[in-house]
Amino acid sequence: MDSPAANAAFAKQINVKFPLLSDMNKKMMKDYGILKGYDVQNETYQWAQRANIVIDKNGIIQHIEEGDSAVDPNTAMSVCTDLHKKQAAK
Amino acid sequence: MKRVLAACLVFAMAPALPSALAQNQKPDVAKLSLKVGDAAPDFTLLSDQWKTVKLSDYHGKKNVFLAIYVLAFTGG
Repeated sequence: MDSPAANAAFAKQINVKFPLLSDMNKKMMKDYGILKGYDVQNETYQWAQRANIVIDKNGIIQHIEEGDSAVDPNTAMSVCTDLHKKQAAK
Repeated sequence: MKRVLAACLVFAMAPALPSALAQNQKPDVAKLSLKVGDAAPDFTLLSDQWKTVKLSDYHGKKNVFLAIYVLAFTGG
């Protein structure tokens, strides 16, 4: 689990302009169903699986990628671009 | 691009995940329980500035791109 302090250091390092968020109580991960259990040497540990999710202005999910495909953000980025164009056209 | 993305949130969480461990993923643990078209559950999370950020803060204002990362410090 990365703490807000660790994220702050990382944000500074890579100079991001968007918030880096920490799910310290794992509530969001549970609500979204992305908290997974992994068996390591007879113990089960839980952490999030990788995912990209695009949510529109109305709070509706428009795009989901899970696992390895979520490593590449380009598909989700193009979904954002299309979404923005559609909204601008209205 | 800034306007297009509006809000891009990265979750940095959990310990480093050696790729070999992914093989041990328990099949009984849920796949993402949401699907396209569903209302996204609201959440409240702590930002790197120690401020709370809610999904509902962006409602009616911006589209949100959630990128969920396991340990953002690593290349994996």
